[in-house]
Amino acid sequence: MHIDKLERFWMLAIAVVIGSLSAVLLVTAFLFEVRLPTPYEQFDPAEIEETEFAEPGVRHMGGNKYHVHVLAQTWFFTPDEIRIPRGAEVTFFVTSKDVTHGFFIEEHNVNLMLLPGHVARITTHFQKPGTYKILCHEYCGSGHHTMVADLIVEAPSDSDSDEEK
Amino acid sequence: MQRAKTIDRPVLARLTFPPLSMLKEERWLIGSHILVALLALFPGILMGPFQAFSRSPGFVAMFPEWEIPVFSFYYQALTVHGVMNALFFTVLFIVGHAYFVMQRSLQRPLWKPGLAWLAFVVMIAGLLATAYAIMIEGRSSVLYTFYTPLTAQPWFYLGLTLLIVGTWMAATNLFMTYAGWKRDNPGKRCPLAVFGVMSNFLMWCFATTSVALLMFSMLIPASFGWIEKTDPQLARILFWFFGHPLVYFWLFPAYISWYTMLPAQAGGRLFSQLLGRVAFLMLAIFSLPVGVHHLLADPGISQVAKFVHTVLTFVVIVPSLLTAFNIGAALERAGRQHGATRRLDWLWKQDWKNPVVTAQIGGLFMFIFGGFSGMIHASFTLNIALHNTSWVPAHFHMTLASAVMLTYIGMLYWFVPLLRGRVLWSRTAALAQVATWVGGMILFGHGMGAAGVGGVIRRTDLANAPYFGDETALAFQKASVWLNTTAIGGGLLLISVILLYTNLVGTLFFSRKPLTENQVPISTEGDTRLPLWLENWWMWLGVMIILAAMAWGPLLVDEEILFNAPITGPTGLPMR
Ligand code: HEM
Ligand SMILES: [Cu+2]
Repeated sequence: MHIDKLERFWMLAIAVVIGSLSAVLLVTAFLFEVRLPTPYEQFDPAEIEETEFAEPGVRHMGGNKYHVHVLAQTWFFTPDEIRIPRGAEVTFFVTSKDVTHGFFIEEHNVNLMLLPGHVARITTHFQKPGTYKILCHEYCGSGHHTMVADLIVEAPSDSDSDEEK
Repeated sequence: MQRAKTIDRPVLARLTFPPLSMLKEERWLIGSHILVALLALFPGILMGPFQAFSRSPGFVAMFPEWEIPVFSFYYQALTVHGVMNALFFTVLFIVGHAYFVMQRSLQRPLWKPGLAWLAFVVMIAGLLATAYAIMIEGRSSVLYTFYTPLTAQPWFYLGLTLLIVGTWMAATNLFMTYAGWKRDNPGKRCPLAVFGVMSNFLMWCFATTSVALLMFSMLIPASFGWIEKTDPQLARILFWFFGHPLVYFWLFPAYISWYTMLPAQAGGRLFSQLLGRVAFLMLAIFSLPVGVHHLLADPGISQVAKFVHTVLTFVVIVPSLLTAFNIGAALERAGRQHGATRRLDWLWKQDWKNPVVTAQIGGLFMFIFGGFSGMIHASFTLNIALHNTSWVPAHFHMTLASAVMLTYIGMLYWFVPLLRGRVLWSRTAALAQVATWVGGMILFGHGMGAAGVGGVIRRTDLANAPYFGDETALAFQKASVWLNTTAIGGGLLLISVILLYTNLVGTLFFSRKPLTENQVPISTEGDTRLPLWLENWWMWLGVMIILAAMAWGPLLVDEEILFNAPITGPTGLPMR
């Protein structure tokens, strides 16, 4: 089989490109511990009332750690307003009651698909005070575009809830 | 022995395949596929610019009363756009193109022309059923990915199933034609274009099994109301097992054109036949174990599987890089033929007056952006910033709606004249069409991409979203300037679409000058130096199955709860 010299050179160049892309990937995944959603908990959506999603909302776990349970359904999130103090480390647990929805917080690395029966989990930090939109970013029927909630990151001074700590 | 066979079969003797003039029956068969493909595309493609307008705050402020014509419900328009463009147009075009390549390259008729017509009728029935469900019956606005538990009307799924059954019939015909040629030509290598068609349809037949399974196990029974539960995660897995090969199914005819036709059309010569075959095989084989890169944000798939598929995705970049090299070298030769002497001046010394060449080079140019934008959001961690933002449609309008589409258009500019036997109606209109398409898609792609980075989401009726005109929605307001440039791109593209259709109708009905020059640069020879085992299709099928089983098997093990979620169908949801 005849392989031209130029061809061989180009093949090598390709191998180098792909190799370095993969190396970067390995580094971000294992050294910087960037994580994607991974199976966490599954249940029959008919039995949602027996799970923590019966009472969605913010739970303070001590220190600066918070757990937030959010339930998505056509076409709203419960709760539709979430308040978090600045600097908090927040773990979201989100699921859907009916169809496929999405959970996307603008300007933050929170981007989850929500499927009925699966709990999507992600941990993130909120450093900059402000109001951010939480959007359902997967088409879920004719009211999909109205499926919006607010995430409010509060500076410690203007927050009373802080004193409860 | 070959002689004897020819005499045995009078059909072969009658069809001698002269280089230019196509036989009447061949013309009708291929022409019908192309025409119906273009008819299906028409309503779909018009929705594109309308969506771009409706998503632009500037446009909406200027024309507050305006709404999308005919399909004023945004998601219905979007379903028409996705289903007609990406499923019916492409598939019909690709099947017609495959018949053309097979018959012309191998210089023999199809195994069973009657079967080809039957397949055509089945696909048309599919088109009518699905179009009826979306456009007339309504309540089927589930978009072209039809993720359950949203449920469309039965005609929607039945039509798509018919489309796929039609492609299987077409594939059988193509495979048998090839087998017949092999039998009559022992020891010969098939032409590169045929190699591409074979790789493509082999991949397609294997990949579509999963979507057929999805149709029969969940979607059709759910839409008839025979079952009350579906498994959305499993459904997404089955969809994307098929979904990535689908993307390459679109790409293959473009690759075939770049490798086997463009070099001659541009006045050059292909650098390497071997690299071409390697690229085709890699594209077909590695399309299978990478589909999880569409599911990186899903909750029911393990990070390990996501990681493995991302790494394999990097492998599937290889054939595209090989292609860049091979086609680049061919275009350099072409440029030198046109008087290029310096190191890089071949890049612009091309035959720009020929719309066939210009459209394809335009497509190749856009493919650079398409490729890089894809590498970025396929990269595991970066996906989190971009998944389901308008970055994603930006990417596939650089690939599908630019690289693939412009190459198909370049092909249409010689195909339609050839089928009709008349020259292209207007060369100038064709060149203007290509220019507006490239310009429009650059504006559109950049706008959608930048808006996506700014957090604007896709598949959303923005004009009716609560934050659309809301001054306090800061992030959206910041990104919305890019939605306005997107709409300008959409305006250019609308002009381009009108030019395209006018020219094609003009060529069919108003062009008077008969076609004389031989414009079909199709090769009938395979490179004899290449090893024959490259054409061992059973072996490649085996490799596909093994790779697919290794890459997807573990997902099904993760996915322990089957049929868990209740379906929420048209009764539960106003879907129109
Ligand atoms: C003529 C110029 C075109 C324009 C201006 C255009 C515009 C758009 C826009 C704005 C969207 C995104 C809508 C949203 O996410 O809400 C979209 C989606 C899409 N377009 Fe195009 N498009 C054009 C041509 C094409 C072509 C030629 C194809 C394929 C052959 C195509 C295939 C698609 C697909 C598959 C989607 C995704 C639909 C979905 O998310 O369900 N488009 N287009
Ligand atoms: Cu939703």
